[in-house]
Amino acid sequence: MSEQRTLRIVHLYPELLNLYGDSGNILVLRKRLEWRGIWCEVEEVHVDDRPSLAQADIVFIGGGSDREQKVVCDRLQTMRDELVSFVEDGGVLAAVCGGYQLLGHSYVMGDEEVPGLSLVDLYTDRGSPRLIGNIAVQSRISPQPVVGYENHGGRTHLGTGVEPMGKVLYGFGNDDTSGYEGCLYKNVVGTYVHGPLLPKNPGVADHLIACALDRRYGTRELEPLDDAVELAANQTMLDRLLLHGAKER
Amino acid sequence: MELRSAGAVGAGRLVRLGLQSVLHRGASQLPGRVALAIDPQLIAHLREKAARGSIVVCGTNGKTTTTNVLAASIEAAGMVVICNHEGANMEAGVASALLQGDDADWAVLEADELSTIHILPQLQPSYLVLLNLFRDQLDRSGEIDHVQDTIVEALAASPQTVLLACGDDPLCMGVAARARAAGTKVLAFGIGEDLGLAPDRVPEARFCQQCGAELEYRYRSYAQLGDFFCPSCGFDRPALDFEATSVKVDHSGVSFEFEQAGQSVIERIHADFGGVYMVYNLLAAAAAAALAGVDTEDFQAALDGYRPLNGRLQHFTVAGREVILNLAKNPTGLNQNISLMLADERPRAAFIIINDDYNDGRDISWIWDVDFERLAGENGAMRVIAGGHRGNDVQVRLKYAGISARVAHDVSEALEQLDDVAPEFPLYVLTNYSALLPTKTELEEMGSGDE
Repeated sequence: MSEQRTLRIVHLYPELLNLYGDSGNILVLRKRLEWRGIWCEVEEVHVDDRPSLAQADIVFIGGGSDREQKVVCDRLQTMRDELVSFVEDGGVLAAVCGGYQLLGHSYVMGDEEVPGLSLVDLYTDRGSPRLIGNIAVQSRISPQPVVGYENHGGRTHLGTGVEPMGKVLYGFGNDDTSGYEGCLYKNVVGTYVHGPLLPKNPGVADHLIACALDRRYGTRELEPLDDAVELAANQTMLDRLLLHGAKER
Repeated sequence: MELRSAGAVGAGRLVRLGLQSVLHRGASQLPGRVALAIDPQLIAHLREKAARGSIVVCGTNGKTTTTNVLAASIEAAGMVVICNHEGANMEAGVASALLQGDDADWAVLEADELSTIHILPQLQPSYLVLLNLFRDQLDRSGEIDHVQDTIVEALAASPQTVLLACGDDPLCMGVAARARAAGTKVLAFGIGEDLGLAPDRVPEARFCQQCGAELEYRYRSYAQLGDFFCPSCGFDRPALDFEATSVKVDHSGVSFEFEQAGQSVIERIHADFGGVYMVYNLLAAAAAAALAGVDTEDFQAALDGYRPLNGRLQHFTVAGREVILNLAKNPTGLNQNISLMLADERPRAAFIIINDDYNDGRDISWIWDVDFERLAGENGAMRVIAGGHRGNDVQVRLKYAGISARVAHDVSEALEQLDDVAPEFPLYVLTNYSALLPTKTELEEMGSGDE
């Protein structure tokens, strides 16, 4: 009998960054670990906490309104060094929407340029109109296209050498012009795809879990799960966007 | 009336006649839209049709029910009312209602929150009722801040309007504080006691509208509604001008004592439908009715005769099975419906229909903020069926809540899946906006309505 394995998830500021059902991402990680007999501990970090990432396996940052994102950004700056060490050490970090923008050098709020965490070589400026709608992305981290919803005013530009999460099959992606969406850097995944991200994209969830297991236990091997329900939801949206070709607006 | 206005009214009437006599279609929007195109000031030119004044009802949840109960109670008091009963609540819907109505005592008009900026400056209503503010349709409405800004701006352009707002909702009180500072008179309604209910999972507005500190509560009724206070700046639930006390809520309905500040007479109001959220709707309607000169006896009489026919808690019987249809279009709405189902002690099933048409909001990520886990209770999961254009997404959500659900395309298919469930057990059908009417039509064709 093998040892009992445990992964620790740190959910940053769930009460501030919860605009798009982000608690669903944590729920999906938790269940997919439990179904495989892997213990899962979730630590929620609140505004006045001083979190430590020493034991963390997966860190999650969701999306919030501008005002909330600014509050979070100020807090995160105080733990930037620890986040940098975590990321450079191969820690798994998933960041969605506003959280994705925080990964970069800067983003724009109103007319103000706000310094980000500079964890990944990217920056975000603002464009018009807001990019809103369903999205599908072909990505190497998921066997199925990643489907979900995007809703962002920011245009995110990747530095040279930063890999995008994938190629836009439908929708706008990082900046509406490059044809790419999100970023991959070490074990960091940043993306505008919410909906939330993980439920309909079990491949992405398992990618995050496999990377975390690899770092902690030296194995990427995952017991397969019955994902019929998840994949039906993925396929239904994909068919709507790609086969029927219906532009939704 | 100006010539242009008269022309607009004439055009609107023609469109309405055309729709009703030739096309046999409802005329809730189009006449107003046509007439507004001719005369953008139409609502201002028609507002005097309501001799005593007008009452606008807005808020994320409960607008249609509150508007209809309020209108019925003013009629029960012997007055004539203009009302957009069908819930066409944008500028065109309000214009249509005013066009079609005869001269009246009061106009009672439901308004979409973001449409208040187009309606209030024109209508200059006597009262704006603000029921609640919840996260709803982020892709269309934007964040709640934007909705609040819009209502504040609308009130600033209608300085005589009295704001009658939910004192228990910090988001409504955030609007009220800003409106009051700009000169608006504010009245507040709320529940004056602890109902002892478990708080919902994802409350909005955890933080003070004034200073950003975390709000605290002496008690909470549902979502972010309750006796809140800010420990750091004094942003506090206000003294209530209209208060519900001795509140009773169970699956057979709601009742409460209706108290008006400064008046010694306390009267009991009861209705055989709804949960906690309905206490707030009825309290708001009773308060507005009192302001319009309706006594509580007439209000209760209107309530006794009120049978929702618009898919809000509407009852049907299909092949011997009770089917209860209700609208649920955002996390708070669905959470309240879950409370309602759990208060029904009978074994029951649910059919949850989620569409993502434009009117629903195309982004349905909010279903992950709904506490479906409560349906996976200790005595085995409740039978739940998923439907709508996003039925597959609902099925995934339920799977992660511990509920194994099947997908059905319509109510008859959902009922077929229940053939192993005894017919005395009810089916709750919960739908979001665009699925409501087709589902109601299907139920009307399949079974008998309540009345």
